[in-house]
Amino acid sequence: MKNTLPELRAARGMTQADLADALNVSRQTVNALETGRYDPSLPLAFAIAKLFKCKIEDVFSPK
Amino acid sequence: MSEASAQPVKYAGRSYLLEFSAAIGLYVVLIPVRPWLIAHAANHDLAIAATVSPALPVWLVLLIVWRYYRRIDEYEQKKFLETLAIAFGIGSCLIVTYSFLADAGLPFLAITWAWPTLAASWGITSAIRAMADRT
Repeated sequence: MKNTLPELRAARGMTQADLADALNVSRQTVNALETGRYDPSLPLAFAIAKLFKCKIEDVFSPK
Repeated sequence: MSEASAQPVKYAGRSYLLEFSAAIGLYVVLIPVRPWLIAHAANHDLAIAATVSPALPVWLVLLIVWRYYRRIDEYEQKKFLETLAIAFGIGSCLIVTYSFLADAGLPFLAITWAWPTLAASWGITSAIRAMADRT
């Protein structure tokens, strides 16, 4: 999947560490998500969407 | 997200390192001390307890590893299990290879070497994986 995580994060002035803290995941996990090395589980995808106040499909989409 | 998220994920590694180091330290102490404990045991039951004493930190490591696994997030769990599988595969192959070499004349090693071999294989594999994933 591709995602808009870096753009959403940058728009809110968050660092990867800030996002990691907000989601209670490691910074490496945020990096893996942003670079497309890891596709999140549904609960994590929902948590990301909730954090950015948008729908899952606004964050993640098929390549 | 961590399943057992009572503690923030970012502190899981630090707790794990402390707990794991303490258990390994106990193992390292008990191995050389064990013969003395056996020799000075007051009765047969205490002698058996002394004989098996290094297994205590081994079981502790299992508990500590499980606790760590429950604390980390899903991506870290995936990496953790992959690393564990690869490491134990390599460790098992090393043990089997050495057992055949022992038939060819190398000194026979006690089965107690299996655990340190697997642990070392896991440590090396984890270090390589951590370096590869450094971002």
